[in-house]
Amino acid sequence: MTTTISPPPAVDPSRPRRGGRRYAVQVTTVAVGAVLTVLAALVSIQVGTSGATFGDVVGTIWGRLTLTGGDEQLQTIIWELRVPRVTLAILGGAALAVAGTIFQGLLRNPLVSPYTLGIAPAAAFGASVSIIILGGSTSSNGFTLVLGALIAALLNTAIVLALASSKQLDATTLILLGIALTQLFNALTAGLQYFTDDEVLAAIVRWTWGSVNGAAWYQVAVLLLLMAFAYPYIQYRSGALNAIAFAGDDGARSLGVPVTRVRLHLIVVAAVLTAVTISFTGIIGFVGLVGPHIARLIIGGNHRFLLPFSALIGALLLVVADTVGRLLLSPAVIPVGIIDAIIGAPIFIYLVLTRRKALA
Amino acid sequence: MTLTVEDLGVGYGKRADVLSDVGLEVARGELIGLLGPNGSGKSTLIKTIAGITRKKRGTLRWDGTIDLDALPRRELAKLVAYVPQSIQLSYSLDVREAVLLGRTPYFGTRPSDEDWRHVDAALELLGLAELADRRVTELSGGQAQRVLIARALAQDPTVLLLDEPTSALDIRYQWQTLSLARKVARDNSVAAVIAIHDLNQAARFCDRVVFLHGGTVLAAGRPVDVYSSELIAQVYGVDVELSLYKGFVEVHPASDADEEIDELDALRRPESALETSSRP
Repeated sequence: MTTTISPPPAVDPSRPRRGGRRYAVQVTTVAVGAVLTVLAALVSIQVGTSGATFGDVVGTIWGRLTLTGGDEQLQTIIWELRVPRVTLAILGGAALAVAGTIFQGLLRNPLVSPYTLGIAPAAAFGASVSIIILGGSTSSNGFTLVLGALIAALLNTAIVLALASSKQLDATTLILLGIALTQLFNALTAGLQYFTDDEVLAAIVRWTWGSVNGAAWYQVAVLLLLMAFAYPYIQYRSGALNAIAFAGDDGARSLGVPVTRVRLHLIVVAAVLTAVTISFTGIIGFVGLVGPHIARLIIGGNHRFLLPFSALIGALLLVVADTVGRLLLSPAVIPVGIIDAIIGAPIFIYLVLTRRKALA
Repeated sequence: MTLTVEDLGVGYGKRADVLSDVGLEVARGELIGLLGPNGSGKSTLIKTIAGITRKKRGTLRWDGTIDLDALPRRELAKLVAYVPQSIQLSYSLDVREAVLLGRTPYFGTRPSDEDWRHVDAALELLGLAELADRRVTELSGGQAQRVLIARALAQDPTVLLLDEPTSALDIRYQWQTLSLARKVARDNSVAAVIAIHDLNQAARFCDRVVFLHGGTVLAAGRPVDVYSSELIAQVYGVDVELSLYKGFVEVHPASDADEEIDELDALRRPESALETSSRP
């Protein structure tokens, strides 16, 4: 039953834009972003590692990966402290920025972030409960703390999706439910804080700043595994996400996209990425909201390139923010959740003023 | 080769019968105008054929054998294309990418050369080739509407559905859109359905029209055959007079003609009017 709508014009050899070359700019941009991320990661590992040169860092990582050994002390510092920290920043930044891009596209709203459905306040509540039960003495990588935040965050997502399913996961309904649950969990957390002593209160507040100080290898492994499964699916759905973001629900359905199902799957994936990340790091703000915008202003709105580039921008933002946070008041470390907005906001303002056309 | 709609019933929420017992036949190469006041079910009918809204009863068939409702969504999208009235954009895309959206049912993650050929052909046909690198948000209303039509054409459809595409356009683009819809129906032998408010434009551009009222079909046929002041009074609740111009039926608001002519005369001859009033 297919017919040819007006015979396609003969291929004009003078036209350079054929096949893959149409996206040369986007592909190059993503590649440059990837190289910059790797470089930033290496610099970040070297910074603060006393006496190690850039070459030492590369050599040590190479030695570890090929099991050929090297300076043992250097290896311990780099491999047990720096690498997990930097990798967690990369993976966490990528996860939050990708989740933000998915939420902004699915809900067709530039003000939306991974926390719009109330995931962050829910995680803070879960973390608070854990801290109070454990007496506030644990460091932020305590397993119970992670579990408490994760369970609360996932529970929140389940509640929002269950309530919104009666409205076919309508975008406005989701946002309004997110607002309600944000208020609810904020109130619950405030209620807990009201009855705790100063020490516990301080632990809770410190957690909500968001940092990679407590980075551990198991966290990197979990997040890496999660991204390895989630990202290919996300990329596979980039075309459907384009249709939903740019054609609207009705338009996307008429283009063959099962809108409700895709929205459910992508929200679950984005919510799990967000929940796992912040259960490890605490609430890192900014990167999930503005990371996608910075990426969009540079590479354009097409999600096939926007998604991978958002991941890289998110990773870069957190790696740079963490490095700066370690340098600024060395040896004190300022949490990455505080620094990323301080670094990112001026970049974002610059892009908005110079390349605003990519936004509506 | 026709689109056949039989005994169609649609309802959702508290409105049980948005459409009931709707029947419609559209042949290839034909442009059908859907007429009726707001809320008469025009949009619902179009969205149901496009697979956006689910039907409750009845059949939707192409070519007598293909049950549109049973087709997988993606296969339906290769057969039926839908042009919405307008779209609100939160993010900007360039025109070429916006038209490429029409190829969504055809490619997975990467468009093929054939996908690009359809995109280029649609851009060419709608006179958008020059604007291909512009951003959709920079376009005028008429240009943005053409992008939506180009997107539907890139879909390579056999059935083309247009939901009041002219409502937000100035008269030049209204006429351009309508003649384009008819040209596409003819040249590509597409079965086209257009929801439209302007009775005169429908009479001028559509092969046949269907009057919807309260979710049912009141009348269907060639405009010149079905237009009548009784029917239009029943459907829209207005009094009209009809005339013929070069074989096309035209609709005019009814008026107490004699009275108006008197008023016009009075306006044209202010002096005499003054004279009359100043006389004792």
